[in-house]
Amino acid sequence: MNDRDNPARSGGPTGNAPRYSGWIGRLAGSSAYRFSIGMLAQSRAGRLAMLLAVPLLWIVVFHIGPIFQLARISFLQQFPIPAGSSGAYTWANYQIFFADSVYFVPFVRSLIFSACVTLAALVIVYPVAYYVAKVVDPRRRTKALLLLLVPFWAGELIRTFSVIMLLANRGAANVLMRELGLIDRPIPLLYNYFSLSFGVLYLIALFMLLPLYAAIEKIPSHLVDAAADLGAGPLTRFRRIILPLSKDGIVSGCSLVFLTCVGVFASPLLLGGPGTVIFPEIISAFFHGASDKWPVGAAFSMIMLVAALAIAGLFMRIVGGSRSTRFM
Amino acid sequence: MSNKSFLFADAPRTMLTGFYWAFVIYLLGPLLLMFAMSFKDATFIAFPISNWTLDWYAKVVQDQQFLSAFVYSLFIAFATTCFATIIGVWISMLISAEGIWGKALLFALACLPAVVPGMISAISLRIFVSVLDMQTGTAAIIMGHTVHAVPFVVIMVLTRLRTMPANLVDAARDLGADSFIAFCRVTLPFLGPALVGGMIFCALTSIDDFVRTFFLGGYRPTLPMLIFAKVQGGMSPEINAMATLVVIVTAAVGLYAERLTRRSRIS
Amino acid sequence: MSDEAQGRSAGLLHRGSGFLAATTRQTSQRGSERDMNGLTTNRRQALKLMGVLAAPMIIRPRASWAQGKVLNITTYDKFVPQEFIDKFQSDTGIEVRIRLTDDQGKQYNLLTAEGSNPSTDIVTVTGHRLTQFINSNLLAAVDTGRLKNWGNLAPSYKDAPQLTIDGKVWGVPLLAGFEALARNTEYTKASDSWSILFDPEYKSYTSYIISDFLSITMRYLGKDGDYVTYEGKREEAQQATNEARDFLIKHKDMVRKYYDAGSEMQQMFVNEDIYLAQTWSGPTSKLIMDGHPIELSIPKEGTYGFLYSFNVVNNAPNADSAYLFLDAILASPEIGAAMTRQSGFTSTFNGVDKVLNDRERAASTLPEEQIQRIQFFSSVNRDMKNELIDRAVAEIKAA
Repeated sequence: MNDRDNPARSGGPTGNAPRYSGWIGRLAGSSAYRFSIGMLAQSRAGRLAMLLAVPLLWIVVFHIGPIFQLARISFLQQFPIPAGSSGAYTWANYQIFFADSVYFVPFVRSLIFSACVTLAALVIVYPVAYYVAKVVDPRRRTKALLLLLVPFWAGELIRTFSVIMLLANRGAANVLMRELGLIDRPIPLLYNYFSLSFGVLYLIALFMLLPLYAAIEKIPSHLVDAAADLGAGPLTRFRRIILPLSKDGIVSGCSLVFLTCVGVFASPLLLGGPGTVIFPEIISAFFHGASDKWPVGAAFSMIMLVAALAIAGLFMRIVGGSRSTRFM
Repeated sequence: MSNKSFLFADAPRTMLTGFYWAFVIYLLGPLLLMFAMSFKDATFIAFPISNWTLDWYAKVVQDQQFLSAFVYSLFIAFATTCFATIIGVWISMLISAEGIWGKALLFALACLPAVVPGMISAISLRIFVSVLDMQTGTAAIIMGHTVHAVPFVVIMVLTRLRTMPANLVDAARDLGADSFIAFCRVTLPFLGPALVGGMIFCALTSIDDFVRTFFLGGYRPTLPMLIFAKVQGGMSPEINAMATLVVIVTAAVGLYAERLTRRSRIS
Repeated sequence: MSDEAQGRSAGLLHRGSGFLAATTRQTSQRGSERDMNGLTTNRRQALKLMGVLAAPMIIRPRASWAQGKVLNITTYDKFVPQEFIDKFQSDTGIEVRIRLTDDQGKQYNLLTAEGSNPSTDIVTVTGHRLTQFINSNLLAAVDTGRLKNWGNLAPSYKDAPQLTIDGKVWGVPLLAGFEALARNTEYTKASDSWSILFDPEYKSYTSYIISDFLSITMRYLGKDGDYVTYEGKREEAQQATNEARDFLIKHKDMVRKYYDAGSEMQQMFVNEDIYLAQTWSGPTSKLIMDGHPIELSIPKEGTYGFLYSFNVVNNAPNADSAYLFLDAILASPEIGAAMTRQSGFTSTFNGVDKVLNDRERAASTLPEEQIQRIQFFSSVNRDMKNELIDRAVAEIKAA
């Protein structure tokens, strides 16, 4: 069962070993393959080109390309550019953001909110991931994981509405409490930070779960057993062995949750209230409002983009420690 | 694998089990409410459900538009997953390779599309598509979804790739495998769960995406497009019935895949 | 997809090489050729690799939406009855393709992003958005002479001033709606004034769309919420806006939620999260049709009205088909009735009343006295209005 000791056998759910070697065997035997791999892999330059070509092209064309359009618009005075004029460039759209606190407060609020949700997700999901990866009987592990995966296929909008059905004044929670005689009047549970974080967590838990699972699952059991044999208590084992070895999962889970959380602005906002206005809502107003201000909205998106990536990068550098910074 | 008291004695083990089930209830609870609503005989969803009916299911199962939208969404999700996985793994290989300059920048750029809010990403992709002189439609949708999905694969795969002992690949090479064979036989299996997780993210983000599809799509609705359009006219139990069917189908596929892999492992 | 993919890899290589330089201009075939010459061998190989990978993504260069017998419509779900589309298709041989939308913002953004090459022929525009579409040069004026059924519109909508700008008619009106006060009759007392939304008794049981309600609040405070009279008087407008803004901020604790979509509001009423709201008449009428204890009224301070219209897109690839379609739609009150049922708004067609049943009719009809209080959104001074209101909305949200 241990992937680490016998990598060739453990295709995981992706496939099984014998069939695998079958098509690879045929491929390796074909002359066309031998010829092309010979051309490419013989020289160091060929290997490097093979490694570089697709990723660099993809990133330059499809990651930078669209964002470049966004950046260009963010410097325009007007978009769409009125017929006849060439479109002047300006810094003004960025200055609007720094000019006063109307935009700054939701921006900071958004970052803090995302950080809190990330932390909450980590604390709540870690034990679950640990349970599935290490405690549950290996034969039932996939099933245990599947049970957690299934709800996510219902779709974001439907899941948001199902949270509303739970928390509304006439929702399941209030009806139940009233039936039990705990309350007379419904408690307003919706449209505040509670419902917003409840909903966002509900929508993004998977982004924490899978990286943590992938990281914890690969911790060799014998390491922990050895520590136990040497007399280390549960807490010590967790702190000294399990936590450091699952650090990669924590780092990527947190970055995934944080980044999606910052950019979130469709369905989850249905759960927020008048006191929970966050930055994506402000940005969307520039694209959705009656007066279209694409350039300002684009400028604000750029600001958010850079801030979110910088924070995630900083976090990786600090938490990731020496080993993870290798790729940074 | 020895299963003796992996972390704690039995008390913490029970606690973890309890925690897991509490989390399952958290995830499934609201969804069960939604299932219940799909049987409600009314135009809007709400408690209490006084009249129950199966009519919504009868309607949805016969709804040609729903069925074709579902199949179309599945197709797009499948294509997205294939492309995004290949490209994502490739980018991860580059970032984790030795002697590559500017990894931090590369990584940030690789993650870029995940941070852009949906509407803005959709608009910039739409403009980008016209700049490329590409036509909107299925291909553009898949392109947009793939762009959005790649960061998820990269982050997942890098997590595991970074801890891979370099000597594994070296050993394979010593045994005469060339780079590609070594990659298929050693690296891919090592990525295992991380890769599957990344693929799940791809499929999920693709099948759930509305804004990008709307901007890049033609005139064939995907499932989210259909659902958003229907919600606009009021949240009716019909939509719940659709979602319920989707969940049941995906759960069935998941269980079937689990059985397949279990069998193949035993044999 | 396969038909789109065939043999286009060559095309991609050209375009792929030029894309960096071509962000603002269209690359001509010859321009690409020249770019190619400057490429190193490595780049060429890389592009080829890319071409192999992206082969299924390549699209035929000629747009399929510009082909003869097609008509592309962006509209709401069930707005146009399927039976009507089927009949139209078999009568004319034109293939009708519907792109479903769920709000105005997306439609506007899509058209803007597409620029001078729209993929849509007909869009569905709400009155308060109309000038935004026109100012961005996205629509074409309607040549009413080409619509022989134009006379089937109810007289008051035929040359409605809100659709007539610079002497041209913009759009075929389909539905009329207005902003109204909705209240749950089981929990609230009747009121003939917007002031009930500020009544402390209903604290945190109210909801509204900020931008719309800001206009109404200005009206409530005796100002001009539609900014028609503020043309050229920026300071006065700013002052009026600020007054309404401060009033709403002062009463912010009354609000349960600022909403955007009609479906949100419907669900809040059904779940009893709110008892009172400023709403658009359509979604509320649908609640009433379904038998919920909701009442719709227009308070004495008055309100604003708007039209939904089908508009022909500027540079529409299939404008002729579009006119055929619009004319066919105007021919039958059944279609007007179907739109009313789906949206809850009032139809602008003659004779729709006879097709609706009693409940449907009742839900969308108000006493004449209240109807008189509706002022339709004008098309004057929009830039100032939009700018001041958007700014105030951000401030209310952030407060």
